[in-house]
Amino acid sequence: MSFKTAREGYVRYQGLGNWAFVLHRLAGLGVILFLIIHVADTALVYFKPEWYAHAVELYRLPIFGLGEILLMLALIYHGLNGLRIIYFDMINPDMWTIEVNRKSVIWTWAAALILWLPAAWIMATHILSHMGS
Amino acid sequence: MTTQSKSVNVPQSWESFAWKWMRYSGVVLAILAGVHVLIQDVLVGVYEIDINYVAGRWHGGFWRVYDFLLLFFAFSHGMNGVRQVLSDFIHSDGGRRTLNWILFIVWAAITVWGTVAIFAFTPPAS
Repeated sequence: MSFKTAREGYVRYQGLGNWAFVLHRLAGLGVILFLIIHVADTALVYFKPEWYAHAVELYRLPIFGLGEILLMLALIYHGLNGLRIIYFDMINPDMWTIEVNRKSVIWTWAAALILWLPAAWIMATHILSHMGS
Repeated sequence: MTTQSKSVNVPQSWESFAWKWMRYSGVVLAILAGVHVLIQDVLVGVYEIDINYVAGRWHGGFWRVYDFLLLFFAFSHGMNGVRQVLSDFIHSDGGRRTLNWILFIVWAAITVWGTVAIFAFTPPAS
């Protein structure tokens, strides 16, 4: 029941600021899920070195490479939107208006794409150059 | 239409500390995590990473301390984020207390697991 209430809340208020909020959460959850796996497997260099090579093999699969590129977008967006929220909350709370919020959300998405595209390009080049080898 | 912010006094509590922690650690992480993914995912890439790469990287103390700080900030930020999201769907005090304890244990276990690896690792004799 509580889940339903919260979900309807998301759907009924459909401002850009709300989309920024929902995407911020989804991106954050995606990053922490990967982070748990990432710390668990990187620690294998100490606890079980012979398994570490196997973990890295998995990360080199093209499907994981694609996931890595999407993860990069999630991280960049979450980071930039987080800095936007921090600026509003801690430095200039007067900016928490619907109009300013909407504009800043659009700028945040634009900046995230601008930072992500070159990174995605370089990462895709890595994947393609190792395909089939 | 103008808006004006006004200061309100929020009583000090674990929740107000957690709220501030998300902001302070967020600024730190923008730098720590940004540099980390720029080097490891974009400039180096997973195809160059193996146990010898890790051994070279953790040869000195700088990157070990860096990785420990990243682990500590990222995990406390991330697990608290999970806690905040789930708290929006779990409304009973008992449920939230259980949630807090479960996430605290997961947070502590993974942080210790990673920290031990960072500082105890010695390059394999090859």
